[in-house]
Formats: sequence, structure tokens, C-alpha cells
Amino acid sequence: MGVVILVLVVIAALFAVVSGVWVALALITAISEHNAEQMSSDKDNKI
Amino acid sequence: MQTVLSVAVVGTYLVVLTFVAVRARAAREFAEFSLAKRALPLALVFGSLAATYVGPGFSIGFVGRGFKSGLLFLGIGLAYAVQNILVGLFVAPRLRRLKGCHTLGDAIGQKYDRKCQILAGIISVGLCAGFAAVMAKAGGDVLRSIFGLPHWSSVIVVVGITALYTTFGGLRASVITDAFQFSAFAILLPLMLLLVLMFHLNGGAATFAKEASAATTAGFDSTSPIKILGLVAAFLLGETLIPPYANRALASKTTSISRNGFVLAGLFSFVWFMVMIALGIAARSIIQGDIEEDKVLMKLVESTMPAAGYALLLVVLISIIMSSLDSLLNAGAVAFTQDIVKPFAKVPDGTALNIGRCATIIIAAIAAVGALAVPSIIGGLLICYTIWAPAILPVLIIGLWIKRPRPLAGILSMGIGTLVAIMFQFVFPSATEVPAIIPALGAALLAYILGHWIEKVYEERKRWE
Repeated sequence: MGVVILVLVVIAALFAVVSGVWVALALITAISEHNAEQMSSDKDNKI
Repeated sequence: MQTVLSVAVVGTYLVVLTFVAVRARAAREFAEFSLAKRALPLALVFGSLAATYVGPGFSIGFVGRGFKSGLLFLGIGLAYAVQNILVGLFVAPRLRRLKGCHTLGDAIGQKYDRKCQILAGIISVGLCAGFAAVMAKAGGDVLRSIFGLPHWSSVIVVVGITALYTTFGGLRASVITDAFQFSAFAILLPLMLLLVLMFHLNGGAATFAKEASAATTAGFDSTSPIKILGLVAAFLLGETLIPPYANRALASKTTSISRNGFVLAGLFSFVWFMVMIALGIAARSIIQGDIEEDKVLMKLVESTMPAAGYALLLVVLISIIMSSLDSLLNAGAVAFTQDIVKPFAKVPDGTALNIGRCATIIIAAIAAVGALAVPSIIGGLLICYTIWAPAILPVLIIGLWIKRPRPLAGILSMGIGTLVAIMFQFVFPSATEVPAIIPALGAALLAYILGHWIEKVYEERKRWE
């Protein structure tokens, strides 16, 4: 019984870590997309 | 040495946070300030929702509850997960489908009338300021423990930094920084649990199960069934669709992202509670003697982690608090502009943006002053929950589901729900053993039915004349 509870807890912890990594990757994508958008709008303004 | 390291780690964290906030750029129009142009992807909606609801109560508080009451609070927390999933399945998509809607007040205004929108706006702004004051107090407490500053100046630092990026960046900056803060605490605290389980748990799985059973029995012995019922009601309804959550439902890129964001956030909340409760149970075999609930997490870190671990925990706590605070400041400012100012005057977009920014600063100032009057973190949160659910939920949820909601029902339900909640909370706190949220919710529902019936009868009589 103890082992089952502990395994569930470990799975929960790993799930939380994976969620954190997923959101971090989405954040990096959002920021880099935003940078690309800003650079292209700067270029358009110069033209 | 430990103080120097803590200050260095927290300082570095604040610099990185500022960099992330700057990358989010300043909002250029009100639609960007209030709804991030309705372009949020699933991961950011989910991360931001989770970052907003995981405050000091769902972290420090739950570890302490796990320590004292074992798995009891995991069962109670299940109500919160169910609430998020139900909102995701049934309410958030309906909310997202409404056109030109920036706030909950807007949704209520579209379904009822302008007066209802203004009243909902006043309640939203008041509640956001109240919740923000609680977060400001918690942030002040953490900073005071690092830098040893007086409490008022710690509060000003936390509120000042948060208000700065929220004022300029609006919802987009709030969501981007929330995602960053979510990643910090969703990775660090579960990793800490794994380290504790691997290297510090004396007696292994058998001890863990024994401690869980002993704590859970003690929890049931010290909590009456009526109190458990009240807690389940508070977790099920108290935080349902508070303004920052509603803003994220409205700002999602599509209806399905809005739905899935809430469902995922609900599933995550259960996982998160498991991690926090497990930390509390593990602490029982490590921390000896009696200890205050709110100090269990700090003590556990001190006993098991190196100095760098303690500094990282402070970063986690600041992340948890600031991510809730920025969402509340933005939601309050948007509700003020959209639900209180705009119904009275047609304002150009640039002016609306400036009003939103000024409102952010004013709500931040109110929160900083209010933080000094907040009795305790959990106490402050419970007061806000008790007022929010009866004041807004019946009107919003019934309004989204029935064909012709009546404005009188909306006004009566919001007014009476708020009054009864305040009466039971402040004037007659010991009038009944039942938590104030239950009678207040009952009164709000009755007032709604009464208002609906009166207006329906009046309309029918008018039709006959």
C-alpha cells in the first residue's frame, strides 16, 4: 500500500515538472515569435 | 553567507523577470491591455491560470495542512479541481463565445443591462483590491524575511515591481510573466519533493504510509463534518471565475483553448495538491516537535536543502505571490475601465488605455495600504471567497444558461448576496456554525428567483393592459 501511494506521488511530481517545462517552452516560443514580428515590422518601417 | 546568497539569487531572479516582462512589450491599445488581443495559446492560458490560483494558500498552506491533516485536504482540494473542470466544460466556452466582451461585468451587462454591469464592475474591482491586499501582505512577509526590511517597505517593493510591469504591459505582460513564474515553481517544488523522498525519508514507503494514515486520522478527528462541508463549498465555489480567470477565458485564442485551458488547470490543481500534501506528510518524519502550519515548508527546506535550496525556495515563493498579484491588478483595472467608466462615457481607445493604467496604479496603492490591515493570509482569502461566490456566481451562471435573464433578478441577487455575506462574515460571525458562504449563496439564489418572478409578472401584466 505504502509503495502504491509513493509511486502515485512520484508520478504527480513528474507530471508537475513536465507541465512546468511545457509552459517554459511555450514561453520561449512566444517571446521569439514576438521578436521576429517586431524585427519584421521595424524593417517595414525603414522601407 | 546564507543571507548574501539569498539576496543574490532573489536579485538575479528579479532581473530575469524584468527582462521577460520587457520582452512582452508595452500594450499599445486597450484590447491588448485587457485581453492580449484574444490571441493566447493553450500552454500560456493553462500556465497563467495555474500560476494565478497557486498562491500562498495553495503552497505554504497546503504543505502545512498535509503535515497536520494528511490526506483530508487532498479530498477537499478535489472540489477545487472539479470546479475548474466544470467551468472549463460548461462556462468558459460560453463566455468566450460572447462578442466584444472584456470582463465578467461585460458578460453580465450583455445578458442583463447596464446597471447590472456597473454593480458587477464595482464588486469585481473591490474583490480584486481585496485579493491583491492579501497577496501584497504575503509578498511583504517573504521579502521581510530575506532582507530584514520593515513590513511596509517590503510590501511597497513587491507591489511596486508588480504594478510596474502590469501597468505598461497589461494582460500580455501578466500572462508572460505568469508563465515564467509558473515554470519556476512547477519545476522546483516537485523536484524538492523527489529529493526529500529519495534522500531524507527515514523508513521509506512504509513510514510515509504510516504518517499519512496517522495525520489523516488526526485531521478527521479535529474537523467536524459541518466544517468539512463548509470547506468543500469554499473550494468548490469561492474562487470560481474570479475576474483574472474570466479574463483568461475571454483572452484565449479559440473557444476550445478556453475550455481545454480550464480543464488542464483543474487536472493540474489535483496533481499540485498531491505534491504539496506529500511534502507535508514527508515533513512529519523529518521535523520533530510541534510547529505552526505555515512554517512547515520553510522548516522542511531548512532541514533538508543546502543554502542554495533555501534561496531557491524564496524565489519560488516570490513567483507564487507575484503571479497572483499581477493578474489581480490587471483584472481590477480592466473591470474599472470597462464596467465602471465606459458605461457612463464614450472614451477613445487611447484614453481607455490610460485609464486602465492609472487604475492599475490606484488598485496597487489600495492593496499596499490594505496589506497592513489584513489579519492573516488564509483569513483574508476566506473573506474574499465568501463575498465573491454569492455576489456574482448565480447571476453569471444562470445568465449564461437561460434565454431571457431579468435585470431585476441580477440586481437583487448581487446586492443581497453581497449584503448577507458581509453580515455573516463581519457583523454576526458566530451566528451559525455553518460557514457564511452557504447562507449567503442561498440568499442570493432566493433573491434571484424573486427578482425574476416579479419582473416576469410585471411584464405579463403590462402585456395584458
